[in-house]
Amino acid sequence: METAAFADTFDAWTDSALEWLGDNGEFLFDLVRTMLEGFHEGILWLLALPPFYVVAIVLAVAGWRLVGAWFGALTGTALVICALMGLWPETMSTLALVMTATSLALLVGLPIGVAAGFLPALDRLLEPALDLIQTLPPYIYLLPAIALLGYGPATALIATFVVAMPPAIRLTSLGIRMTPHEFIELGHAIGTTKWQMFFKIRLPFAMPSIMAGINQSLMMAFGMVVIAGIVGSGGLGETIYGAIRTLDIAKSIDAAIAIVVLTMVLDRITQSAARFGKGGTP
Amino acid sequence: MASIDTNEVLIDCQAVWKIFGDKAPAAMEAVAKRGLTKKQILQDYNCVVGVSDASLQVHRGEIFCIMGLSGSGKSTLIRLLNRLIAPSFGKVLVKGRDLSALDATELRQMRAQNIGMVFQSVALLPHRTVLENAAFGLEVQGIAKAERNRTAQAALEKVGLGDWLNRYPAELSGGMQQRVGLARAIASDPEIILMDEPFSALDPLIRRQLQDEFRQLTKELGKSAVFITHDLDEAIRIGDRIAIMKDGVIIQVGTAEEIVLNPADQYVADFVAGISRLHLIKAHSVMVPVADYQRQHPGGDIGTLARTTPEADIDELIGLTMQSDRDAIAVLDSGTVIGVVTARSLLAGVKGTTIGEQPAAA
Ligand SMILES: Nc1ncnc2c1ncn2[C@@H]1O[C@H](COP(=O)(O)OP(=O)(O)O)[C@@H](O)[C@H]1O
Ligand SMILES: [Mg+2]
Repeated sequence: METAAFADTFDAWTDSALEWLGDNGEFLFDLVRTMLEGFHEGILWLLALPPFYVVAIVLAVAGWRLVGAWFGALTGTALVICALMGLWPETMSTLALVMTATSLALLVGLPIGVAAGFLPALDRLLEPALDLIQTLPPYIYLLPAIALLGYGPATALIATFVVAMPPAIRLTSLGIRMTPHEFIELGHAIGTTKWQMFFKIRLPFAMPSIMAGINQSLMMAFGMVVIAGIVGSGGLGETIYGAIRTLDIAKSIDAAIAIVVLTMVLDRITQSAARFGKGGTP
Repeated sequence: MASIDTNEVLIDCQAVWKIFGDKAPAAMEAVAKRGLTKKQILQDYNCVVGVSDASLQVHRGEIFCIMGLSGSGKSTLIRLLNRLIAPSFGKVLVKGRDLSALDATELRQMRAQNIGMVFQSVALLPHRTVLENAAFGLEVQGIAKAERNRTAQAALEKVGLGDWLNRYPAELSGGMQQRVGLARAIASDPEIILMDEPFSALDPLIRRQLQDEFRQLTKELGKSAVFITHDLDEAIRIGDRIAIMKDGVIIQVGTAEEIVLNPADQYVADFVAGISRLHLIKAHSVMVPVADYQRQHPGGDIGTLARTTPEADIDELIGLTMQSDRDAIAVLDSGTVIGVVTARSLLAGVKGTTIGEQPAAA
């Protein structure tokens, strides 16, 4: 009785706090939602523009050039199977969600990571915050988002953005800090400006770590986008969620296969792009 | 090669100190006021003295070696010369300009255009080709790609790497990598090249070869160099003058011959003990005055002695003595006999002393 009363009071407070935020920040949250959904729909429109086999061919060629011939062939086949299962629109929708959320996470995460690489104080400050974000179960982030932005892709995007950002920050900061001392000295001795030191010396050394961060952000985003099916993200996540609720196991397995295909294709392609970006000898 | 004014001082390092540690300024003040020792500074201030009251001058066209054991402060000293490390006390002038008075832009230009540097670790950028590495200094100076590649290629050809332009550093041997490092330094055409133990990690044969090539190239281009080494043999092969460092202090500066003949203290004496004198000591150091020779050999006719120059080394002098039926050789400088090398003076030279230092009698 006592505890239930306490919980009721707490819930009432939370509700009124969120209501207050929703009322007073309505303009702001509407703006955020419109922008997020606009961005997402733009990318989705681009992906839906060509017929499915063009997208499959483009990704197959990328897989072939960056990973290998067998991987390219596998990519093409797997994507065609996704289309044959009748899940092509959902697959592209998921891809668009992942790309939107990941680009936003990188847009914010990379500069913060660079700053943290240069400022040990900032790095020490961020460390516990990033730890916390990565420790909590990811669907926690859906709750405040759904309260403020409502049911739909915007909520999925914000929650995915939060989950995808930490690896980009961490690994960028690490990469910037990892520049070997003798190359910093070389930069000074040869008379580089601060910008030249950054772009010609620090950044190339940091690149493998930054690319690994991008890859990890992308993978985190994939995981979250599927979970975000419960808030109406659209795409494969929502297909799985809907199929499970109606016990349509076959359909949920189809959708799961499509997710596995998409994840593996993007994982291997970005990993190889990271190695490629490092340049140098094979 | 244009004639160069070897009297011009390019680097003037005046009573320079470097103390490392949080309390370095306080430690420096204490040194100035009370003359603390290195050990006291470590105890009282928890600071390490890297370089202590070092003064040296490097002239145009000269190769100046700094020799000392590991930890003696060589790397610190050479970094004071281009202000990679700022001194705790004292002044460094390069081409007459006090480095501490330059602003950031001027200092950067000075480093980019006047002072090249080669590192023991080589520090070639692994993601760039040999050519791009050699052109890096020029790239930083904003020189257009076609021109900087042309200049860098010429520099690489000078160090014998004309066929390796498009390889990556990892494909090159240690010796070749160090050549790229040298090409990168000379591509910007600086007057001064700073070399911090560039050959120390190489195997002896390659090392010898690079030492000779480096000396020849530096002289050919009319560059000045400060060359750090922990190996006295290397210092002697390469250097016109040598500074010997110990515990942050320069304890002796001179030519190899001067140092071998007159070591400043027991430490230097121990160092030079194992060095062969045969090619180091020259006739002008071991000859005795003509008058002394005539006093000891009344009737000996100087005009009939075998002749040589003041620069002939002991090895040559021994050869000449063996061929001659007389036991002395006349040393001529522009036609005049300036001294005589006798068998006794030769033997003293081999021992690394001069006849004047022998006990007077005998
Ligand atoms: N950044 C630094 N901080 C503290 N001590 C240093 C630093 N750099 C060099 N030292 C100390 O200064 C002394 C001289 O070092 P160094 O110039 O590297 O000698 P060398 O090049 O002759 O081996 C050593 O005792 C070394 O430990
Ligand atoms: Mg050193």
